[in-house]
Parts: sequence; structure tokens; C-alpha cells
Amino acid sequence: MGKGKFLGEFEQIVLLGVLRLKGDGYGMSLRREIERRTGRAVSIGAVYATLDRLETKGYVSSHDGESAPVRGGRARRLFQVEPAGTQALQASKDMLNRMWDGIEVDPRTA
Amino acid sequence: MISSPRLARWLVERAAGRVHGPALVGDLEEEFYDHILPTRGPTRAVLWYWGQALGSAGPLLLRRRERARSRKSSSQAKGDHMWMFLQDARFSIRAIRKNLAFSVILITTLALGIGANTVLYSVVDGLVLHPFPFPDGDRLVTVGTEYPRLGTGLNFIEHMSPAEFTDIRDEARSLQDIVAWDMGNRQVSFGEMSDNLFTGFWWGDAFQTIGMSPYLGRGMTAEETVRGDAVAVLSHRIWQSRFGADPQIIGKTFGLNGNPYEIVGIMPPRAEFSGMDLWMPMGVGPEVFPRQRRQFQVMARIRDGFSLDQVNAELEGLARRTELEYAREMEEYADWRMTAFTWTDANVQSLKPAAYILLGAVGFVLLLVCSNVASLLLGRSAQRRQEMAVRVAMGANRSRLVRQMLTESVTLSIAGGLLGLGLARLGTNATAEILSTLPFVSGTVELNTRVLLFTAGVSVAAGVLFGLLPALQNSAVSVQGTLKSEGASVTGSRGRLGLQRVLVAVEVALALVLLVGGGLLISSVARLNAVDTGFQPENVMTMRLTLPREDYDAAAVSTFFQTLEEEVSAIPGVVAVGRGDQFPPIAFSFTRVATEGLEVTDEGQLPVVLSTIASPGYFEALGIPFHRGRSFSDLDVEDAPMVAIVNEAAAELLFEGQDPIGKRVRGGVDEDSPWFQVVGVAGNTVNVGPDQPPMAQVFLNHRQVPEWSNQMFLLVRTSVDPYSVVPAIRSTVRGIDADQPVYRIQTAEETLARSTASRRIAATVLSIFAAFALTLAAVGIFAVVSFSVGERTREIGLRMALGAEASQVRRLMIRQALMPVVIGGVVGLGVALLLGRLMGQLLFEVTGTDPVTLLTVTALLATVALVASYLPAMRASRLDPIEALRYD
Repeated sequence: MGKGKFLGEFEQIVLLGVLRLKGDGYGMSLRREIERRTGRAVSIGAVYATLDRLETKGYVSSHDGESAPVRGGRARRLFQVEPAGTQALQASKDMLNRMWDGIEVDPRTA
Repeated sequence: MISSPRLARWLVERAAGRVHGPALVGDLEEEFYDHILPTRGPTRAVLWYWGQALGSAGPLLLRRRERARSRKSSSQAKGDHMWMFLQDARFSIRAIRKNLAFSVILITTLALGIGANTVLYSVVDGLVLHPFPFPDGDRLVTVGTEYPRLGTGLNFIEHMSPAEFTDIRDEARSLQDIVAWDMGNRQVSFGEMSDNLFTGFWWGDAFQTIGMSPYLGRGMTAEETVRGDAVAVLSHRIWQSRFGADPQIIGKTFGLNGNPYEIVGIMPPRAEFSGMDLWMPMGVGPEVFPRQRRQFQVMARIRDGFSLDQVNAELEGLARRTELEYAREMEEYADWRMTAFTWTDANVQSLKPAAYILLGAVGFVLLLVCSNVASLLLGRSAQRRQEMAVRVAMGANRSRLVRQMLTESVTLSIAGGLLGLGLARLGTNATAEILSTLPFVSGTVELNTRVLLFTAGVSVAAGVLFGLLPALQNSAVSVQGTLKSEGASVTGSRGRLGLQRVLVAVEVALALVLLVGGGLLISSVARLNAVDTGFQPENVMTMRLTLPREDYDAAAVSTFFQTLEEEVSAIPGVVAVGRGDQFPPIAFSFTRVATEGLEVTDEGQLPVVLSTIASPGYFEALGIPFHRGRSFSDLDVEDAPMVAIVNEAAAELLFEGQDPIGKRVRGGVDEDSPWFQVVGVAGNTVNVGPDQPPMAQVFLNHRQVPEWSNQMFLLVRTSVDPYSVVPAIRSTVRGIDADQPVYRIQTAEETLARSTASRRIAATVLSIFAAFALTLAAVGIFAVVSFSVGERTREIGLRMALGAEASQVRRLMIRQALMPVVIGGVVGLGVALLLGRLMGQLLFEVTGTDPVTLLTVTALLATVALVASYLPAMRASRLDPIEALRYD
């Protein structure tokens, strides 16, 4: 997980997912999106735990969406990215790019 | 439609907490029903749900812990508890796998103890606590009666008359759905086959009373039972065994005395009533019977708002009113009583003592197992000292350590419990097999929900019990002393050794109690087997025939049996043939007997004797000797003077030492009842069971009183294997009456064996427990002595270097090893003496304080203890002093 201001890998993935879903993202749709795009099997609990962490840090915010009988009357929780979140994402991306700068990797050699 | 798994949902909800729980669960539900279920099908959808739940628990709990930490709250947050438990469980499994061999020994020992408990509890649950499937079983009662003037005790079977039944039915306000029934054997024909079924004849709708619906079809209405409509209900068992569970059975007919009866219903499974296979209407109303015809049983439900005590109070009032009204003409009503018992209680009374003793015994076994495991764990803990010290240094406080170790021991014991369940399954199957051969034992022995809950509870409790001591001991660690290489902290190991010695004492005490119990029972069974039966039960085949009164009048009964005996005696291999309405140890027919010359007007003062109706061949077939006079002969025919034979006990009782030959007796004080002249005195037999002294008995010749019995046992002595003549006997019977079935086919030896069955079973089971206990105690002693040798190696080296001889060292070790054994033995003897009294009913000719048994058992235990401590002691004496001194 991210130390201090920096985002951990999974935190970045979740944040990017929330961005992608443009404010309509809720737990399960996020999970599906992540699984689809990364090919990584992820539990809904892991997604929520990360969202909670991100919310505590102020990078995302959430509000209640609609409830439905199939959900047992429970409301959906919708997430959207906060400005602080986009900043953190950009910072992480920049950091990685700077480390990548000038490096070419050939998977066939060490 | 499949719904989402509740348990998985609950798990996720608990792990997620209040903040995100609802949204998360909502997401899961929506995904499950809208996307997963339609595309993947029910099984894979449920699997998916569980996968999500289990995979989510970890991250969610971690997150909650983070929150708790950041909130600087104490680690008592709920998520923390669960987290800690999961962590501990993972550590436990790792620790168990690291010490695999040791853990396997522990788990196996636990499995044996828990498995034994499970089997026994399933027996007690199935036979004593819940033998019947009737809902609200403790509101279902039967009413027993007691007539002191007739010399009868409290009895439920064939002890109530129709008038007494209607009195209850019409007047008792605390009871409802009161029904009554009579039982008897009837031969029924289904197409070509005929069968003898134990049948109940009912007044009232019994299904209402027992509170169950028929498995198929319907029951009989109260009106039908009184009118005698041609309807009947079959038992579930017969429907399965004789009719192959034919689903079209309703509406089919069978024949009884040539009349067709329609099968209208099938009983629910396991609804057992004294082994009745057929339910039929009584056919007449209760008012046709005389008030004194007591051959019926009564059952009812306690009305809502009343208790069993209130029922009994009301019955007492009713009894006293009846006494007031009828006691003058019917003397048996003086001081008579009616008592209601629950149907279960009435049926299992006789089983309770043995059941409770065995339950207690198996509890002891479990305690023993726990002591043993605790002792072994304590021995192990030397190696864990370092681990404990490291944990303490890393910040674990004592309660945390204790919790960790308890989790470990509970995990061990749950593993033992699971293995034990597997063993128990074998045990219950075997037990169910054995029980199916015993007659009239209601209930099934199985691993039902109650039993499984019991096993789970016992496993966890055992884990805490044996784990507590080692956990407390291990967690009391001094960090500095342990982390330095001065590993052998004297105080620590002293304390441990002391605890182990205490456990040895406990084990020895428990083993001794079990050994004494087993020994007493074995002694009883041996003495029972040695009892002189008074007759020769070897090579005697017995079977029962009931001649229906509708087809056979008294004369025909007599002729039938005469012919039967004559023809059977002609079968090759048959040595003698006789008949009787009862034979040892079966006893159910008693009478009060008056002796001529002794003027007694009050029937209540007459002595009670066993009264048997027999034929001349009875005595020869059973091998009962005659001491004076003669047996019945062919001269004692219908018009000849009425004769009787008495046994030695009756000669004593009725004639006070005078020669009974020529004197006369009769039943009761009624002027019209006939006198019988005694013509012979037969030897005593175990006529009321091998565990009782012979009862006074009077025999009458069936040929002279054929109207008094139409149900007889045929007794056939053979020179060949008794079973080999059965087919010939059957065809002889068929030759006389093609429709007459023969049932209850058993040798006399088997009948005798059955009467001691429960004692023998208890003896066997208890002996197995005792042997197991002895083994465990021996292992425990061995382990503790070995451990103490290990701990004291340096000390031993020192002694030997200072001049002690090997034999001295040996004696020292053995003496110290036997100290706890002696203490445990004394305590055990004390407890055994106390408990011996509780076994009273099961013992025969042996008191609870039998010195022979106590001495034998103590000697056995002492020997075993000596042997168990000898080996390690030998090892100690063989130590090389120099090596020993260097031992760390």
C-alpha cells in the first residue's frame, strides 16, 4: 500500500478504474472493470478496502445511489475521484516515467 | 429458486463492518442474481459467492484493523478479534504441521475419546432421550395402574379395563384425545401368503393423540373404531418389508378370519408402539366388557395449560371416587392408584440405569484422554520455551499467549473431533446392528443434529480443558532466562513436572474407577452365567402359536395341540415335545393361590405364585426333574379330577414343609373356582429370570383347562441341531391347519441369553473403556517418567559420580514415579467405592465394595504402573555419568 502520499499499485489501479467509470462506478462494476482490463482476479472485499483507504486519504468521495429489491433494499455506493486523487495519480505516473526514462527493456534478456 | 448462501453473506457482512457492509453485500447480491446465476447455473454461482466471501474477508479485516489503529482505539475493536483468531488459527495449523508425528498421536487419542463419547451419546439420545418421533413427546402420556390387593405393581401394559378407560375419557379435564387399545397376534392373509402380525385394536383416533399424520392415506376415526368398520392401518416397517413400499397400497385389502379389510393408511416411520404392525378398530364399544377385564392400555395428551403433576392429581381424585363407588363389590379398588407417565419415560425406565452408568463411564474416558493430552503437551513445552520467549519479547502479553495456545489446542481437538466422528460413524452403525436383534427396543441410533452438536461442543470443551494447563504454564515465561543459553530454568521445569505428576494421579484415579466398574460387571456376568438354571436349555427349540378364538373353541384348542405334540414327537431328531404358556425365564402370568385348609377370606392376603398352563411333555422337553410324585399323564383328561403340580418353592410357600401331594389348591377365594389336587413336586427353575431366586410356581394341565389359554409355546427337545427340525415342525402345523402361522422361533438358550443381554452389553462396553483407560494411564506414566529422567539427567549424573549404584538410581526413579500413582490409586478407590453403590441394579451377587474385584484391579494397575516406569528408570540407571553431567 502507498506510503504516505504515494499510491500503491493496487490503489492506482482502483483510482484509474473509478476515473474510467466516470462517476457511475460502484464496487462490483469497478471489480468487473479491473478484472476485464488487467486480467487479475480480484475480490470485492479488496476493492472496497482500497476504496475506503482512498476515501480516508481524500482521493475519492462516495454517495448513495439507488437501492433495488434484488440488493435486498441496500443502496449502491457510487464513487468519484476528487482533485487530490487526480493529483496523486499524476504524481505516481510522473514518478514512474522518470524511473523509466531512457530505459529499454527486452524481455528476452536480463 | 436458489438463493444466495446465507452463511457466506453473514461472513462478509461481519468482516466489512458498518461503513461499507451494506453496499458491499448489496453489490454481491445484485451480481449474484442478475449476472452470475443466469449465466453459470446454481452450483457455480454459489461457489462464486463463497469465493468472493472468503477472498474478501482478509482485505476487509486488514482495513478495519488499519482504521482502528489510526483511530488509536484499543485493540478490542471487533474486527481485531476476528483478525486475531484467524491469525492464531493459521499459526496453530502451522505448529501442528511442524510437529506432525506428535500431533497425530494427540489427534488420534482425542479421536478415540471423542468418538467413544459420540457413540454413547447417540445411543442415549436415540434410545433414552428421544426414542419416539412424536412431536411434543413430553405431553404424550400413558396411564398405569396399581392394584395392591391383587399384588401387582405399577404397570402400563394390559392393566386397565374399558370401564376405567371411559371413566378417564369422560371425566379427566386435564387430558385430551384419550384413546385405548388392546394387543394380540392375528393371522392375516395377503393373497396367498398368511402372516402372524402383532396387532393393536383401538378405541379412538390415535393419530390425533400422537400428533402425527399418517405417512400415506389416513387414520381411523373414532366412530369407525367403535363400529368396527373393515379398515386398518399398517406399520411403516411392515409396509416396507412385506409390501416393498408399494405406493399403491392404499385401498388394497387383506383377509382376517375370512373377512376382507381395507388398508386405509400407513404409519409414519419409527412410530413404534410395542412392536405393533397392524392397527385395527376394536369393533365393539367399551361398555360391552366387564369392569374387571384389565387387558388394555391407555394413551392421551396433556391439555394445554395443564402439567403432568396436575394430571396425576386429577387421576388420584378419580381413583378415589371409583374406589368409593366400587370397592365393596370389587376389592381390588381398595387403595388402587392411577399414575400418568410420559410415553417415553414409561418405555425407557429399564434402560436408564445402564445408560447413565455408561454415559458416566465414557465421560471418565474423555477426562482421561484430556489429562493424557495435557500431560503430553506439558512435556512438549520444553521445546517451545524459546518460541514463547520470542513472542513475549515482541510484545505479546500473557493473555494473548494463552489465547494463542488455546486456539492451538482447540484446533487440535476439533481435528480429533472430526476424526472421532468418522470413528463414531462406524460405532453407531455397529451398535444399530446389534440393537436391531433385540426385541422391543424403540428408537434409532444415528448421528443426528443433536449428536453432531454434542460432538462439536465436546471437542471445543475438551480443547479448552486440556489446553488450559499447558497454556498457563507455558505463558509464565521469564524472557531473560530463556533467551540466554541457560535453557534449563529449574523452577520452570519443576513446576511442569509437578503438574504432570498431578495429571498422572488424575489418570490413575480415573482408570481405577473404570477398572473397578468393569471388573464388577464382568464378575456379575460370570456369576449370572454360572447360575444353575434348574432345567436343561440346550437343544430345546421354542416357538409360539396363537389359535384365534373365532376359529377354535376350547375343545378345538386342546385337540389341535394334542395332535401337534403327537405328530411333532414323530419327527426324526425330536426327543420330547411339550407346551406351556410360559417357560423360564419368561414370566407374565401370576395368580393368587389359596390352599385348602387354610381359611382366608381376604384375597389380598393370599400369596402370589407364577401360574403356568402346560402339558405332560413340558417337563421332559425342558428337562425339569421331579422330586416327588408324578408329572401330568394321559389319565388327567377333561372329566378326570383336576390336578396340579407345584415346584419346590411353592411347596415351601404354600404348605410350609408338609408334603403337598394330595393337598388341594385353587386360584382366589371365589367359591365357584375349582380345586386342583397336587400330584407332583417339580424342581425349581429360574422361572423369573436368572438374576432372581426361583418363584413359587403352580402348573395346571392344559387339557383340563383349555379355555384358559389359546396362546402356547411349543417346546421341542432335539438330539440334533434345534434349528434343523423347524421346517418339519412348520409343515406339521400346516398339515393340521394350513392357515396357522408359527412365530417367535428361538432356542431356549437364546431366550435365556436375551434376558441377560443388557448386563452383558454394559459389561463389554465398560471393559473396553477400562482397557483403553489402563493403556492411556500406562502411556501417561511412561511419558512422565521419561520426561522426568530427561529433566534430571544432570542430577542423576551427579549422584552416580558421587557413588550411587545403578540399582539405587533405578529405585529412586521408580519410587518417585509411583508416588502419584499411589495417591491417584487411593483417590480412585475412594471414588470407586462411592460410585459402586450407584451400579447396584446392574450387579448380581456382587456388592459395590467387593474386595476380590478391588484387590485384583489394584494389583493390575500397580503392575502396569511398575512396568511403565521401569523402562525409563532403566534408561536412567544406564546413563554414563560424564555424559550426564555435561547434559544441557
